[in-house]
Amino acid sequence: MADMLFSVPGIINGRFIGFLLDIAMAALVYYYIKTRKMVHIRRVPGLDAIEEAVGRSAEMGKPVICSFGIGGFTYWTLAGLSILSHVARLSAKTGSRLIVPTGGGDQALIVRPVAEEIVKTAYTMEGAEDQYNPDDLPFYSGQQYAYIGGYVGVMQRIRPGSVIMTGSHASEAMNIAETSNAVGAITITSGSYIGNVAALACASDYILIGEEAPAAGAYLSEDPSQRASIRVQDLFKWLAIAIVVLGIAARSLGNDFLLRLLST
Amino acid sequence: MAEILKNRQLQIIVMLLSFLFVFLPYFLNVPQLNTASTKLITITSIVTAFTVALAVLAQFRRGINIINRRSRGWYFKAYMLMTLVLMLGFSLISRETGPYHWVMFAVVNPLSSVNYGILAFYMASTAARAFRARNTKALLLLLSGFIVLIYQAPLTGAYFTGFEPIALYLGSTFGLAAGRMFLISVTVGAIVFGVRVIMGNEPSVLGLSKEE
Amino acid sequence: MMMAKDSGGILKWMAEYDRRYVYLVLFLVMVGPLLRPIGMPISVSPDTVQYYNVLQQVQPGDKVFFTLNTEFSGYNEIQSGIIATMRVLVEKHARIAFGVAHVEATVIPELIVKAVQAEMTANDYQYGRDYIILGYIFPNEAAVAAGAQDFHGVVTQDWLGRPIAGTFLDEIDDWEDWDLIADFTTGIATSFLINHYALRGTPMIMNCIGIMIASEKPYVDSGVLLGLLQSMRGGAELEFLIGRPGPGLTAMDGFSFGHYALIIFILIGNVGYFGYTRQQQMRVDREAK
Repeated sequence: MADMLFSVPGIINGRFIGFLLDIAMAALVYYYIKTRKMVHIRRVPGLDAIEEAVGRSAEMGKPVICSFGIGGFTYWTLAGLSILSHVARLSAKTGSRLIVPTGGGDQALIVRPVAEEIVKTAYTMEGAEDQYNPDDLPFYSGQQYAYIGGYVGVMQRIRPGSVIMTGSHASEAMNIAETSNAVGAITITSGSYIGNVAALACASDYILIGEEAPAAGAYLSEDPSQRASIRVQDLFKWLAIAIVVLGIAARSLGNDFLLRLLST
Repeated sequence: MAEILKNRQLQIIVMLLSFLFVFLPYFLNVPQLNTASTKLITITSIVTAFTVALAVLAQFRRGINIINRRSRGWYFKAYMLMTLVLMLGFSLISRETGPYHWVMFAVVNPLSSVNYGILAFYMASTAARAFRARNTKALLLLLSGFIVLIYQAPLTGAYFTGFEPIALYLGSTFGLAAGRMFLISVTVGAIVFGVRVIMGNEPSVLGLSKEE
Repeated sequence: MMMAKDSGGILKWMAEYDRRYVYLVLFLVMVGPLLRPIGMPISVSPDTVQYYNVLQQVQPGDKVFFTLNTEFSGYNEIQSGIIATMRVLVEKHARIAFGVAHVEATVIPELIVKAVQAEMTANDYQYGRDYIILGYIFPNEAAVAAGAQDFHGVVTQDWLGRPIAGTFLDEIDDWEDWDLIADFTTGIATSFLINHYALRGTPMIMNCIGIMIASEKPYVDSGVLLGLLQSMRGGAELEFLIGRPGPGLTAMDGFSFGHYALIIFILIGNVGYFGYTRQQQMRVDREAK
C-alpha cells in the first residue's frame, strides 16, 4: 500500500476514504428512497425473464424450481431470498407449483425457516394459502453433494418448466444448470463468484451478473422509489471507472497522488 | 413476548445496532467500541451455533411428522433421521477411531468425491455445447477458450511454449479486468443492498411481507 | 416452401452429438492414465513459482494458520497442493495450527498428517509444541471475525476437546500474531479470512479449486494474497518444484488428455455446426430455385 496523504485522528490509518465512500453510498441510497426520485434504470434481462419463465411453466402445467443457495445469511443468500419472494408470488398468482430445494450446508439449516416463511407469506398475500404446501420445500440434507443429488433427482423426475437458481450456490451450481438445460427448462442463474459466472453463462438461458442479484429486490419492486436506489450502484460503478482511468493516467505520468489519496 | 420479538420495527432496530457495532470499529480507533464489537461478534457466533442446533431439532420434528403422515418418500426421511442419530451417537463415542471415523472415510469421503468428480463431466459437456462460432462474439469466446484450454493442459507447455504468453496475457488483461470489475460491482451491490436491508426496504429477508 | 425431410448424416451428428459421448470419452481418457500413469513432462506456471518463493521465506518457528476451507469433495482437487505445502512447512520447521471451515473437514488434517508422517518424525514434530489440530473453528463469518480480534475468546480447545493453553497458540492473540495463513479452499470461509486477516495485513497464500482462480487472482495482483496455487495443476507443479512427486503429478497425464479430448469435441462440434448449417442453406437455395 502506498503512503497515506494524511491521517485523521480517531480513524484507523488507511480506512478514511473507504469510510467516506461507505457513508456517501448509504446517504445516496437514503436520499433516492426518501425523495421518491423517478429515475430511469437499465433493464436486467435475467430479472425480466423470471416472469416469463414462471408464466411459461404455468402454461405448460409444469412446476417451477427456485433455490436460494446453500450458505448462511450472506448477502448472496439474502438476495436469493428476495428473488424467491418474487417467484413465490408469481407462482401463487399463476397457480404454478413451486418447489424450493433447501439444505446443502449446516448454515443453510438456519435459512430454511425464513425461506418457508417467505413462501408462505407470498401465497397468503396472493390469497392462495390453500396452494401452499410445506412439503414443496424439501430438505436435502446439510451436505452439499447430498443436496445436489436430491436437487438433480427432482429435476429429472418432475421435468420443471423453469429453474431459477440464485443465492450462494458454489460448485454445485453447474450440476443444477446443466441438468436444468438437459431437461429443457428455462434456466435463470446467478453466480456468486466470477469463475462460476463464466461457466453458468454457457449453461444458462439467462444469468444475473455481479450486482444484478442483490439489486433484484429493488428492481422487482413495484415502488419506483425503491427502484431508484439501484441508480446509486450505477453512480458508484461510474466513479470506480473514473478512478481507474484517472489512476492509469496519473501513474503513467509518474503522479501517485490518487494512489496515496485512496490509501488514506 | 413472541409478538414483540416478531415486531418489524424492533427487528430493524436490532439489525441497525448490530451493524453499527461491527461496522464502526473497523474504521474508528475507539478501543471501547472495539471491545464491545468483539464481544458482540463472539455472542453472535455462539447464538448461531445454538440456532443450528435448533434448526436441526426443527428438521427432526418435521421429518417425524412426514414419517407419521407417510408422505411420499417418507422412508428417505426415516433413513436420513436414522443416519443423523447414528452419526451423533458415533461422534460422542470417539472421533479419532471407531464407527464415526469409518463412516467418514469409507462412506462420506468416496460419495462426496464422486459427486464432485461428476462436475468435470458437466463442465465439459457445457463447454463442448457452448463453444460454437455462431457469430463474432462467440468466435472470440471460442478462440480464447481454445488458447486457455490448450495452455491449461500441462503437457502443452512442456513442448510448445508459444501458448503460454498468449494465455497469460488473456488472463492478466481481459480476465483480470473482468474479475476486478466483478468484485467492484458485487461490492457496490452488496453495500447498497445492505443499506436497503437496514432501512427495512427488503422485508422479505426477514420473512415479512411489505404490508406487515 | 417445403423443406425436404433431412436425415442430416454425419454433419448433423457432429453438430448435435449426445452429451453422453463427451462423458464416456472423458471418463476413458482420464481414468486410463490414472490407472497406468505415463509420466509425461509438465510446465511450471509463474504463479506456482511465486507461491513456492513465499514458502521458501518461512522461518523456523513461524506460526502458520493452515486453514482447510473444503469438504472431502474439493479436498481431492487441492490435495496435492496441501500435502506439498505441508512438506515444505514441516521441513522449514514452522509451527502449524489446522483450522477447518466444514464439519466434514474435521478429519482431513488427520489425512494430511499421515501423508507427511515421515517428514514430521524426521523433524521431531510434537503435538501441541509444533502443530495442533483445532477442528471446525470457522462455522461462519462472525466466528472468523471474532478469532481475528480475540483468538482465545473463540478457540479454547482442540478438535478432541483438549485445552489449547500451554501450546504454541499461547503466543497468538489476534490477526497480527500469525506469520502466515496458508488457505486451501473451495470457497467456504475464504472471503471471511481475506476480510478479517489478509486485508488487515496478515500474510496469506492460497491454493484454490479451478473455478475460483479468476475471482482470487485480483487479490494477488493487489498484494492482498502473496501467492496463489491454482487447483490440482498448481499442486502438481509444486510437487515438481520441491522434487517430491505425489497425487498431483500422478493425475497430470489424465489432466492433459482430458483437456485435449474436450478441445477435440469442441472442434467436432464446430465443424458439424458449419457443415450442417451450410448443407441446410444449400438445400433451401436449391428448393427455392
